Amino acid sequence: MRLTRRSASFVAVAASVALAATACGGDSGSSGNDGDGGDGGTFRLGITEPVAIDPYNAQESEGILVTKQLFAGLTDATAEGEVVNVLAEEISQNDDCTEWTFTLKEGTEFSNGEPVNAAAFLRGWNRAAVQSAASDVAYHLGGIEGFSEVNEGSATELSGATAPDENTLVVTLAEPDCEFDAKTTHPVYSPVPEVAGAADNAEYNDMPIGNGPFKMAEPWQHDSSITLVRNETYGAGDPANLERVEITILNPDNAADLEYQGFQAGQFDWARLPTPQLSAAKQRFEPQGQWIEQNTNGMNYLLPIHDSAPFNSVAARQAVSWAIDRDAIISGVFQGFQTKASTLVPPAFEDFYQEGACESCAQGPDAAKAQQLAQEAGLPPGTQIKLAYNTGAGHEEWIQAVSAQLQDVLGWQVELVGQPFPELLAAQQAVGATGLFRFAWGADYPTPDNFLYPLLATPAINKNAEGVVQGDNRARYSNPQFDELVLQARAATDEAERTRLNQEAEKIALNDMAMIPLWNRTQFRLFNSNDFENVQMDFNENPNLATLSAR
Amino acid sequence: MGKFVVRRLLQMVLVVIGATMVLFACLFVIPGDPVGSLGGDRARDPATAQQLRERYGLDDPLPTQYVNYVGRTLRGDLGEDYRQRRSVNEILAPKLVNTAKLAAAAIVIDIAIGLFAGLIAAVFRYSFWDVLVTITTTLAIGFPTFVIGILLQKVFALNLGAFPLFGMEAGFPRAYVLPAFTLAIIDAALVARLMRGTMLEVLRADYIRTAFAKGLSKRVVVLKHALRNSIIPVVTYLGISFGTLMGGAIITETIFNWDGIGLALINAIQQQNNPIVIAVVTYSVAIFVVLNLVVDILYAVLDPRIRLE
Amino acid sequence: MATPDPNDPFPAPTAAGVPGTAVPGAPVVSATPSGPPAGGSVEPRTTSQLTDIRRRFFRNRLAVVGLGLITLLVVVAAFAPWLAPHDPLRQDLTNTLAGPSGEHLLGTDVLGRDQLSRIIYGSRVAIVVGLASILIAVVIGVALGAVAGYFGRFWDSLIMRVADVFFAFPLLIGAIIIIVVVGRGVLPVVIALAVFSWATVARLLRSSILSVRESEYVEAARSLGASRWRIVTRHVLPNSLAPVLVYATFNVGTAVVATSALSFLGVGVSPEVPEWGNMIAAGRGFVGVADYLWIFPSVAIVLTVLGFVFAGDGLRDALDPKLR
Repeated sequence: MRLTRRSASFVAVAASVALAATACGGDSGSSGNDGDGGDGGTFRLGITEPVAIDPYNAQESEGILVTKQLFAGLTDATAEGEVVNVLAEEISQNDDCTEWTFTLKEGTEFSNGEPVNAAAFLRGWNRAAVQSAASDVAYHLGGIEGFSEVNEGSATELSGATAPDENTLVVTLAEPDCEFDAKTTHPVYSPVPEVAGAADNAEYNDMPIGNGPFKMAEPWQHDSSITLVRNETYGAGDPANLERVEITILNPDNAADLEYQGFQAGQFDWARLPTPQLSAAKQRFEPQGQWIEQNTNGMNYLLPIHDSAPFNSVAARQAVSWAIDRDAIISGVFQGFQTKASTLVPPAFEDFYQEGACESCAQGPDAAKAQQLAQEAGLPPGTQIKLAYNTGAGHEEWIQAVSAQLQDVLGWQVELVGQPFPELLAAQQAVGATGLFRFAWGADYPTPDNFLYPLLATPAINKNAEGVVQGDNRARYSNPQFDELVLQARAATDEAERTRLNQEAEKIALNDMAMIPLWNRTQFRLFNSNDFENVQMDFNENPNLATLSAR
Repeated sequence: MGKFVVRRLLQMVLVVIGATMVLFACLFVIPGDPVGSLGGDRARDPATAQQLRERYGLDDPLPTQYVNYVGRTLRGDLGEDYRQRRSVNEILAPKLVNTAKLAAAAIVIDIAIGLFAGLIAAVFRYSFWDVLVTITTTLAIGFPTFVIGILLQKVFALNLGAFPLFGMEAGFPRAYVLPAFTLAIIDAALVARLMRGTMLEVLRADYIRTAFAKGLSKRVVVLKHALRNSIIPVVTYLGISFGTLMGGAIITETIFNWDGIGLALINAIQQQNNPIVIAVVTYSVAIFVVLNLVVDILYAVLDPRIRLE
Repeated sequence: MATPDPNDPFPAPTAAGVPGTAVPGAPVVSATPSGPPAGGSVEPRTTSQLTDIRRRFFRNRLAVVGLGLITLLVVVAAFAPWLAPHDPLRQDLTNTLAGPSGEHLLGTDVLGRDQLSRIIYGSRVAIVVGLASILIAVVIGVALGAVAGYFGRFWDSLIMRVADVFFAFPLLIGAIIIIVVVGRGVLPVVIALAVFSWATVARLLRSSILSVRESEYVEAARSLGASRWRIVTRHVLPNSLAPVLVYATFNVGTAVVATSALSFLGVGVSPEVPEWGNMIAAGRGFVGVADYLWIFPSVAIVLTVLGFVFAGDGLRDALDPKLR
């Protein structure tokens, strides 16, 4: 699972304009080339403390950044959302996509010399799946037959994953999934050596030994630093150009400020920026070719609760979408640094993107239409609705703007409910949830299905005995027609056909206004173009450390 | 004396137990599942969440959880946090040190500036310096910590570029200057006023007059005799103002991104990372109570007229 | 008193900018009160004494300035709708982050709201939270402190141990925890501040009652056969309230700061409410970019706090001329 660091939206944290805070780094002009090893150079960046860098539990952008440097898996995702082979030389599946065969590249090794073979993959998967690991990301293995037995503790090995020979992996799935290869881009599908031991091996957790382009130079210094050096025995692809990667761990409270400040001081070669500084920074750094701006695999929505009033009708949800003036919020609150969303699946999926599919998003606002729809829905002026969001993550401002627009246009009484994220989540899942919630989603693997199925398919509601929603479809959207299309797409072997079916499904969901798209997830980065070239933002919004090079 | 200390120690234990019970009861009724969510905007997989609830005993009734907590804490083990599943001791130890360093720097500033300014003001009463000290200290106590912090950032970091805007990377002393002053200014002003007031009283006392009458110089009288006696209330005040210091530390650490327990507490509250919340609050309550005992004993030692019974 | 009393409740003004356990000099887990409370004189007050107090208060220039600032605050809060040039909640997304101008004297915020109007309305939150939280703390504290101080023994121990528990939480930490439990908003902030302030009042009152109780005129009243209730309400309480009154005045300022600090940390009143701490929190990201966003609300807080500090100072000196 890829988690996004905070939201794509307004992060109002303290500002920084200048200042070298740092003693290290040397002279900023040539820092890229003065790494210890001489050639290759040292790339330096700041991140916030990850939950884990061991593939069994690596989850958010930062953890995945490190884990992907330490481990090479079967496949990887490109920034454009393509799946490319890494250690898999050949991938084939049977007709109904329930059995997948991966042929591995021969003769590659972990950095300690252990072979990377089919057994190493099975070891990694079983290690993450077993109950005692309590992994947050093991459910990505959930499609493999035998997962529930392992996860519930009645087995220790996935019965659906086998190694008929040293370099062949055969995976049997419980349900057809023609995009299973895309799931293997997730780090939880990484191979691990025997020294990894069980998931709770603290020594390995802090200094994983892998088969990626880099290896740990020293154990993880919690809340302080992670240092990577080039893995000279990397065999899955071309060796990294960089000699060394120095990662400074920053406090989450103003990490973006520190990164920006550090970049200006020559301490970092890659940085996020605080929102209030975006426009000044763009003016300054874009002409120097140091600016990266990219729509990534994430989306921001309002989540209406479908199974209770007031948003149990299409008209009610449409009314909201027509009433919101996205452009005004983007230009006023975000200083123009967001792009309006008009789909459920983000534009990062270029071949899939159906720009304008949400009519009200693209053409709104339209006060008259919104009022008429609200009338139809039986929600006259004075109706009380709740709009809930999580505090401390920079959503306060735009949420107030949305609330004011709903009050002005529809005359509703909007009650803003701000709470810490765990409380917001519980409120979304609870029996009797009602109203609108702030919602954002980042893709785990590069497939439109990863938006449509978990967020909107009926089985993804998954209420428990008390009626608490346990799946990610917290809108409780349920449309049999949509479900069928998404399932058909999952079973479609032809990619074009799959895209068509999913596009159809997206349109149905948008006609039902299943969720209300707000803005795309747009990310901004600065990078040091004086010392490095071929720098890009990858699928996880991180720099492409394995392929960028020093000038 | 011994009896007094024993009784106070018992009371201390009662206070800490009471405070942690209040805290536990509060955390228990907070809506939301502490292990139900992940760091971003995601829900945790329900099966994993259930495994973690069992692991942390979150389905146990409140009294059971409390008893387990007390048992663990008495063994010096503050448990495992919910996010990284690392030992809370291990996570907080370096942060506690960072906060202690910041607090120590602030207290040094309090004492240095406060004592000096108060002393000058009292000795040269009604002089220009006295007026200056009185006016500055009067205004300073009107400034909330967060306003002082932002103001110092604006002037000394952004405009003058003299110190880092935030962070600890620049090390001692550069990184410490702005946060330590932010944390210290109000207390320094209060210490100065307190010092001025007590010094004035002491200077009027008989034994000081006697000292002057013996022909001792003003400097000797002030530094040797008067200062020692005027310092007692300052020590008392600094000991007791720990709660204020802790509150100030939360704000200062937030503004200056200081990797201490105050910032850890704020982040943990947002994430419902309860083991961290409980540990930080337990620390601060315990330190507060111990400091108070120390202050009382110290007071009795410094001033023999106080009876401890 | 050659050296100051450690139990002197007012070694220095205590409306410290940092919200905290105000009245730093208050006895902590003190087993015995030593020395008389400096703030409360031990004779019954008479009308002429009140006149004296008033005269001493108004002779103090700073106290008058403080009273003036408080009056200003109250007037602004009361007449906010007439004084504010704009609706403090009215957003204008076409005019966000506009610097001070003729139309918006103090500029507009990130949602295009008029800053001046928000500051004016912010005085209402400050006044309401400041007064209400202290009032509640005083009522609870006086009631429990009186019971503890007068009835002594079991009640004293019980109440004081409970007070110790609440006293041991740094105000800000305690308040954050309460708010996380009951949710954000004005009322939760009031409750949170009151819950962690009453203990100080109770201690103050108790120790001053203990000394008043031993005084000659209470002895006299007792020997004349006055009932306990009568002694407490007619003699002991009125003479023990002086330090509480001074404390309360100082601590309105502390409560105003604490309210803003909570909002600043993102756990105070809801962000749409025009409140000074909210405004500073929202402006914090714009330090060096749009400084007017945080400077003006900061000025409002500082003036308010100073008002209560000056008035508290003046009141203390007026009540107890010995301390001058």
